[in-house]
Amino acid sequence: MELKPIISVKDLHFSYKNHHVLSGINLELYKDEIVSLLGPNGCGKSTLIKLILKLLKGKGDIAIDGKLLESYSHKDIASHVAYIPQYNNTPFNYSVLEMVVMGRVSKLDFFSLPSSNDYEIAEMALQKIGIENLKDRAFGQLSGGQKQMVLLARAIAQEVNVFIMDEPVAGLDYGNQTRLLELISELGSQGYTFLKTTHYPDHALLVSSRVVVINGGVVISDGAPEDVISQEMIEDVYNIKADIIMHDAHRRCLPIFQQKREVF
Amino acid sequence: MHYIKESKYLFVAAIVLATAALLSLMWGQYQIDMATFIKYADYKLFSKGSIDPQVFTLIDNIILEIRLPRVLLAILIGAALATSGAVFQAMFVNPLVSPGILGVLAGASFGSACGMLISDSWLLVQILAFAFGFVAVAFAVLIGSMVTNSRSTVMLVLGGVISASLFTALLSIIKYVADPYSTLPTIVYWLMGSLSMAQLNEVAFVSIPILLSITGMIFMSKYFDLMSLGDEEAKALGVKVKLIRILAITLATLASSLSVVMAGIIGWIGLIIPHIIRMAVGPSHRLLIPLSAIVGGTFLLLADAISRLALSVEIPIGILTSLIGIPIFIIVLKMRGQYGTKTNNKCKRFTFFI
Repeated sequence: MELKPIISVKDLHFSYKNHHVLSGINLELYKDEIVSLLGPNGCGKSTLIKLILKLLKGKGDIAIDGKLLESYSHKDIASHVAYIPQYNNTPFNYSVLEMVVMGRVSKLDFFSLPSSNDYEIAEMALQKIGIENLKDRAFGQLSGGQKQMVLLARAIAQEVNVFIMDEPVAGLDYGNQTRLLELISELGSQGYTFLKTTHYPDHALLVSSRVVVINGGVVISDGAPEDVISQEMIEDVYNIKADIIMHDAHRRCLPIFQQKREVF
Repeated sequence: MHYIKESKYLFVAAIVLATAALLSLMWGQYQIDMATFIKYADYKLFSKGSIDPQVFTLIDNIILEIRLPRVLLAILIGAALATSGAVFQAMFVNPLVSPGILGVLAGASFGSACGMLISDSWLLVQILAFAFGFVAVAFAVLIGSMVTNSRSTVMLVLGGVISASLFTALLSIIKYVADPYSTLPTIVYWLMGSLSMAQLNEVAFVSIPILLSITGMIFMSKYFDLMSLGDEEAKALGVKVKLIRILAITLATLASSLSVVMAGIIGWIGLIIPHIIRMAVGPSHRLLIPLSAIVGGTFLLLADAISRLALSVEIPIGILTSLIGIPIFIIVLKMRGQYGTKTNNKCKRFTFFI
């Protein structure tokens, strides 16, 4: 039996005013995958994610679970995929538990409030991530890494299996970056599917099952991390030299300083 | 149940409001003591006990004709303004906006004054107040978004200031052309804000749309939490952002515009009450919205009591709420960031990232 993609994107075009961002993207996401989207700044990674979540409208076909995105309301999308944005600050400083309970809203009808059951699910989600001790803290007072974990817990409370993350490690310190990557790969082995953008080829090597490279608005490479991430690809996309080395049975990608610098 | 804490807060606030309302009914230029009041209530409500008919008629007149409409109106308008303030703050993700700052009150006062000038119909006055209240907030948002593309706290406040000045200027034109012996004094005194003209049937009439919009805002409160995270995140979590925003802004504008029709411009309640509640119990709108309604009602009731009882001359309520509200808001601004607010005991929260 042929495996059906959870998310499929066909010939997707998008432009901001006269500036073409995406020109014919094809992408598929299958169950249990961790797919990393790589590409330089402004290549349209985040735009692609927003298009998949119907936060922007482009030309082309996007389907979730075989049905075209047009037939979905935002509530329907929220019961298929969870979005984990780069952590943001709101002027209203909710507690962590309140923040996680917000993931339940797609399950509630217009007039009902979150029930004790919803709060239990939220607490279980916090436990799953291992941050139940934070539940009464104010979200705004947390570190960047803790905020990302809370947003992951919120996605778990949404009771969906597909997580879409935008630059999950952006702005986190070294320790939190590593802890978050570990958490993503752990959740990946528990049946969660991830589509995430990243700026780090090394992180893509560490946690992905597949890597998709976008440059100039098109997918230039799509496949297993060890096939996609090569010296040539790094030089081609980022215009720097890098070494791919083997360490502890894992491929790692290390940048190399160049004597003559060109600034792009 | 997770709402025990919430119910406790609401219960306590409701008791305070009820007590304040009872005391407001009893106290005034003619003092009614507790014993007489109980006798009166007993006779009036349950036809039990006995009371001197002369005293009864006097008290009945004072309470039904003067104090009850005034007390009900104060509660209603305080609730409307505080709830609208909290809702505007959530909808624009901006803790510095209120019906006053967004220009709604100025727009509604221009609309009502137009209505008063051209017709005696009370319904028309209300409709015009709402329409221009809505135009004013739309204008504020338009100016706020014209200069910068991103949502900017300061620009929206500035847009509101511009919108409010525009409608205040238009109102001045109406004042200028109004009959200086009859219409002009009416408009001027009404604008200063007063609850003393309240009549029971008028209060009952205006209470229906105000109570409906407050109820609507309470029912929508769970969405306000999500929408204060920003549109994209709210949509991705499954919220119909446009629908909720239009509905919420309409309800908040309706409630605050009608308060202008009934009692003129009463400022600051919409700004300070939600701030104080957030500091005390946290920002969750499921508690903030209903609690704003109760505390806002209590606040205006107390302000009105001060204006009636403590001062020998009755100062217009709009002036008094500004005089009380401004120092409170300065304290709130100063406390910002210095103290953690009380939520879930040890929770330190209190950052407004402005």
